[in-house]
Amino acid sequence: FRYTRNLVDNGNGKFNLMILCWGEGHGSSIHDHTDSHCFMKILQGNLKETLFEWPEKKGNGEMTKKSERVLRENQCAYINDSIGLHRVENISHTESAVSLHLYSPPFDSCNTFDQRTGHKHKVKMTFYSQFGERTVC
Amino acid sequence: WFPALEVLDVSGTGLAELGAELLALPRLHTLLAKNNRLGGPGSLPKGLGQAPLGRSLRVLNLSGNRFAEVPPALLGLRGLQSLSLGGNRLHGIPPDIQELRSLEFLYLGGNFITSIPPELANLPSLSYLVLCDNKIQSIPPQLAQLHSLRSLSLHNNLLTYLPREILNLVHLEELSLRGNPLVVRFVRDLTYNPPSLQELAGRTIKTRNVPYAPSDLPENLVRYLSLASNCPNPKCGGVYFDSCVRQIKFVDFCGKYRIPLMHYLCSPECSSPCSSASQSSTSQSESDSEDEASVAARRMQKVLLG
Repeated sequence: FRYTRNLVDNGNGKFNLMILCWGEGHGSSIHDHTDSHCFMKILQGNLKETLFEWPEKKGNGEMTKKSERVLRENQCAYINDSIGLHRVENISHTESAVSLHLYSPPFDSCNTFDQRTGHKHKVKMTFYSQFGERTVC
Repeated sequence: WFPALEVLDVSGTGLAELGAELLALPRLHTLLAKNNRLGGPGSLPKGLGQAPLGRSLRVLNLSGNRFAEVPPALLGLRGLQSLSLGGNRLHGIPPDIQELRSLEFLYLGGNFITSIPPELANLPSLSYLVLCDNKIQSIPPQLAQLHSLRSLSLHNNLLTYLPREILNLVHLEELSLRGNPLVVRFVRDLTYNPPSLQELAGRTIKTRNVPYAPSDLPENLVRYLSLASNCPNPKCGGVYFDSCVRQIKFVDFCGKYRIPLMHYLCSPECSSPCSSASQSSTSQSESDSEDEASVAARRMQKVLLG
């Protein structure tokens, strides 16, 4: 019922290559990338990427939006923690979307952020499937 | 034509109406008609509910069209399991939506819906409800009766609080609330209207268990007494009828998000059962007396607020 992360290749421990499937209206939380490089390519449909500034250390207010854009089919995007944080969402109510993600080095946890307060919370990331097999948790 | 046809996709073909020819297809279970020009009168064929198609249809996708109201013709589809009207021009949801007894998946995101009819809660199998990107200002507490609901999408609406009853949705695993003007500070409704004498008498009868029989009272008072609501404060055995205090209390979810819930209490002196949980996560708590909120919080693993 929410977007799925499907691991395709783990490059001998050097990277994670995965396919994300987004249903209509599905979106991610605002998150960081645990000091890794992150490439994203749209394989089908469109995804909106909203960039946010890191919240102030003592911050307790609404997070600052830096920019937003809609990525079309075949477009690529890159992000890392020095660039900022982002939220990715499929804003279409009629089409699903599919994206290819490359993370290097691989990571299995990150921080999600509450847009209203900037508070962060560490979460473990899970896979819906790995190498074509459904991951049961 | 094609009596064995099971799936038909006429999306993106510019259709302004779906013809009566479809009614005779007895095996068609999936009809996709996204991104067309449907929405005017006669978009759907008459007699849909009674036709062979009406009995076979399980999945209907009408997203990306021009419907300003849920077409009455489709309310007769008693076998329909999945309905999408995302990205149309709906301003409301008809109470007769409850006729779709088999509905499990309902997508209404991206419309102009301002309120939700309580009758939506009468859908016995609804498990996935999407109401994101609308203009909804409040959620009727009756939605808590959707016991089979697993995923509720409410992001990008005009909600300032949620009804406390939302904690009763036992199987709810996902709830998206971002992009709503949820109140962040404790709010108390200052206009508390003192109870009427009738209400005070009713409260006393109920809380003191004063016995009465229908022959003792006028019928309207017997009915009135049956409408007593229990004060949710577990330390208060009180009841209330019409006079209650609206109070917003915050519930911590997994120590992360504070969601404002609306309570109705019998008096300003009553305190809410859902006290604000401590800042730290209590997922490893061994205590026997679980705050009702933390039980719900552990169930709702994917509250998408931030």
